[in-house]
Amino acid sequence: MIRIAAVGDVHLDETVRGRLRPALDHVHEHADVLLLAGDLTRHGTLSEAEVVAAEFGGLPIPVVAVLGNHDYHSDQQDDIAALLTDSGITMLEGDGTVLRVDGHRLGIAGVKGFGGGFAGKCGSAFGEPEMKSFVRHTAEIADRLGRALKDLDADVRVALTHYSPVPDTLRGEPPEIYPFLGSYLLAEAIDAASSDLAVHGHAHFGTEQGVTPGGVRVRNVAQPVIRAAYSLYCIEP
Amino acid sequence: MTEQQENVPAQYVAARLRRMLAEDPRTAEQGVRVTVRGQQVMVSGDVASPERREQLEVVLREAVPDMVVHNDVRIVRAGEPTDREELT
Repeated sequence: MIRIAAVGDVHLDETVRGRLRPALDHVHEHADVLLLAGDLTRHGTLSEAEVVAAEFGGLPIPVVAVLGNHDYHSDQQDDIAALLTDSGITMLEGDGTVLRVDGHRLGIAGVKGFGGGFAGKCGSAFGEPEMKSFVRHTAEIADRLGRALKDLDADVRVALTHYSPVPDTLRGEPPEIYPFLGSYLLAEAIDAASSDLAVHGHAHFGTEQGVTPGGVRVRNVAQPVIRAAYSLYCIEP
Repeated sequence: MTEQQENVPAQYVAARLRRMLAEDPRTAEQGVRVTVRGQQVMVSGDVASPERREQLEVVLREAVPDMVVHNDVRIVRAGEPTDREELT
């Protein structure tokens, strides 16, 4: 049994330091790994990242994370990732990690992801350079996710993103903004790698449960959705 | 926002306030809803602390001092989960 704890969109800064820690102090009693699905900070500053490092650092189980759009807001995303790496958090962006859990190999591949929309209702790399750049950014990220998932030498594969791979978990959000909340290209990459679970955040008004067109379970762990310090998912390989 | 609110369609007022709450560094909240009905402004959603909830109201009242602001924002819980899901 592999026990996965996951949360996204914690949006930490100095004013909420320590808020999650009472629950996190016991997370190892319930889970083998903790996944963080981006938007760890509020404005994407290094001082906020230090709060994230204090909140999630030093836990007795591995912590694996991707950044979200808030973490890019101050153009310090690389420094934030480096700071969190130094605190012991495994930061993913187009790569993966394999953990040994209960005699099984748990592989996790992660990217921030991006928008673009969902099958039949999505943007195309056509027209103005801004539009081409927008859609290509998503396509490149999805390609990197797909390669990272396939490269995992693991019994169980989990995709970790900030943006959503499916519209299912966006129910509750206005349909007009779905193209800014995720992309079907992420789901296509997840399906192509025969993944076992996809975890994302970003959609605060969305719902927790969804599924990709290929049948992979998707869970939106944005904290306003799960209304707890983290959610728990158990997989029997 | 300086224009007379009564002359501006409610949809535009709501859209400007919504963007303001995302872009103002004092709030930086993308995950809240703004609804305008006549002279009433409703803000809803979940934030991490009572201070952030209060700050949303401060920014809105500054932007539309002549409108009535209703703060329906909730504080997101940060306790341990009460159950777990078995993915079989």
